Amino acid sequence: MSKTKTKTEKKNDNPMVKIYIMGSAHEVPASLTIMKAMEYAGFKITRGAGCRAGFCGACATVYRKAGDFRIYAALACQTQVEDGMVLTQLPFVPAPKGKYDVSKLSPTANTVLKYYPEVARCLSCNACSKVCPQEIHVMDYIQYSLQGQIDKAAEESFDCVQCGLCTIRCPAEIPQYHVATLVRRLHGKYNMTSPETLEARVEEIESGFYDEGLKKLMEASKDELRQKYYHERDFIDQKKA
Amino acid sequence: MVQYSYFPGCNLKTNAKGFEETAKAVSKILEAELIEMPNWNCCGTVHTMTSDNMMRRIAPVRVLSRSKKHIETLPEGTLNQVVTLCSMCNSTLKIVNREVRMDPDKLEKINYQLEADDEIYEKDMEVKHFLEIIRDEISYEKLSKSVTNPLEGLKISPYYGCMLLHPDEAAIDDVEMPSVLENLVESLGAVVIDSPLFKFCCGSYHIVDEDSIVDTQVEKIVEAARSRGANALVVACPLCAYNIDHQQKIMKDKTQTKDPLPVFYFTQLMALALGVPMKTNHFEDHHINPKPLLKELGLSGGKKSK
Amino acid sequence: MSFEYLKFGKEEKDFIAKIEEISGQNVYSCYQCGKCSAGCAFSNNMDITVNQLIHLIQVGQKDKVLEANTHWVCASCLTCSVRCPREIDVAALMEAVREYQLREEPEKIKISQIPKEAYDKLPNIALVSNFRKKTG
Repeated sequence: MSKTKTKTEKKNDNPMVKIYIMGSAHEVPASLTIMKAMEYAGFKITRGAGCRAGFCGACATVYRKAGDFRIYAALACQTQVEDGMVLTQLPFVPAPKGKYDVSKLSPTANTVLKYYPEVARCLSCNACSKVCPQEIHVMDYIQYSLQGQIDKAAEESFDCVQCGLCTIRCPAEIPQYHVATLVRRLHGKYNMTSPETLEARVEEIESGFYDEGLKKLMEASKDELRQKYYHERDFIDQKKA
Repeated sequence: MVQYSYFPGCNLKTNAKGFEETAKAVSKILEAELIEMPNWNCCGTVHTMTSDNMMRRIAPVRVLSRSKKHIETLPEGTLNQVVTLCSMCNSTLKIVNREVRMDPDKLEKINYQLEADDEIYEKDMEVKHFLEIIRDEISYEKLSKSVTNPLEGLKISPYYGCMLLHPDEAAIDDVEMPSVLENLVESLGAVVIDSPLFKFCCGSYHIVDEDSIVDTQVEKIVEAARSRGANALVVACPLCAYNIDHQQKIMKDKTQTKDPLPVFYFTQLMALALGVPMKTNHFEDHHINPKPLLKELGLSGGKKSK
Repeated sequence: MSFEYLKFGKEEKDFIAKIEEISGQNVYSCYQCGKCSAGCAFSNNMDITVNQLIHLIQVGQKDKVLEANTHWVCASCLTCSVRCPREIDVAALMEAVREYQLREEPEKIKISQIPKEAYDKLPNIALVSNFRKKTG
């Protein structure tokens, strides 16, 4: 009985793929994400890496696959490598940001157009939605902003991580994610009402309603606390409330 | 009750919201309800007259495709029609619809872009302006019968603007001698004042950067109507309405010219005549306030007691 | 009588071909009846009239065509196109000249120079149509 493992078994343990990082070829383990694969290949990422969890939008990556004419885009930290992938990163996408004071604006289409008149050039080509790594309907929220439907635009753009991929693909040169920020700020400030229960609670606290109970807790001994925490669970005299 | 898939267009929720709300209200009364299609995009306003720019044709084709999907969800929607209120939308959608039907290559290229969104267009939609629906499906007779407050005292000059009648394929009526707005106004009990400048272009998009051109046009259009005895204008396009309304105010402030003529959307006139509440008209968005004229003629809303 | 000799070589022919390609119209159909210019609502503001511009295109005089303001004053109302007895889409010819210029210099209107206060009043329909016609 041979005690050595056969060669074929060893190969399946750690399959490798060939990817091209900015044109230079590298053999990397197939199970890695693009970001980990770049670091495996020896790159130290100083721009274009952030939370590594698909939330900050720093690692926007554009790539093509072997034998496929399409352009793909994704977040490097969330996407697995594929054999024949040719990629580059976009750590920064230039996009003009308007300077405004939200408290002086009104939630209308005219406000959006004032700071981002390019929005009127939208062709409805949908290149932005196709490239979005969060699968947001980008064109739809830009259209809602143009139409003055600020609430719908804010809802639709909620998952945006500001990676900039939509902006760089747009033929009308709109900075979609900045438009989304403006729209969400307008919606939050003017359309959404403050939750009543929160306001009521804050008022209660400020009126000193909880001061006595807190004081008692802070002055209680360890035994008293243990008694309350494990046995009584009663910090305030409910009858007084 | 018939239901139509209604395409608003970019302006109908902003400064032309009176146009939309009165249209929706009167469409219900006349049993030809306009139901807004969900998830629509701007049609582009103007259509591209180049033979080679497919990008600018994507927006209108997408509207047609999405409208088709909408109709499939309407319980009482039977016709493959998308209805517009704005004349520019009417023209652009009709022209592009015709172009892609006549040239399968163009449609194929555009469908390549729409494929990924599962929205290819199959050449099966018709485009109608609400005025066509009133004339052909509802009928002026039915409209007359539904009038509760005849618009007596209003002497209205219909202003068609360019896009209701141009180009030939998009025209909703005879290009040089139309009668659709005249018949509508008469059905509502008002008097029609004909003006030779009924389709003299208002200046359209020049309002953004060359508004002096618009000033010249508006002055001629309004004077032609006023000198023939009109006390108001009726339009079907939000851009015409803005140009004529706003520029009259600018000119009045600058040069103290004579009494400006208020501009109504045709659905606002219908709303006044059919007894729809006054606030639906959103007259506060108008630059020349029509309310004084309406008050003077005793047409300030509410059902008249007979 | 005075004469002006016009050059008519490859450059001129290329210009005519390009305008015909973009517009899809046969520029030689025009027999200069002038009906387009007569009906044009903006003739007063044009330095050369519509039919004069078409004639310049017919003889390939690119520089004179591009210097004129005719095609920029045009508001695409299509009155000319519906009245042309030769069924030329005259507005398409105007659009082709605009496109010819925009494909070189894509900003006839400098969006960044529109004053911010203008946006308080201007309806979005005006901006959308203006940018479609005057930017590339």
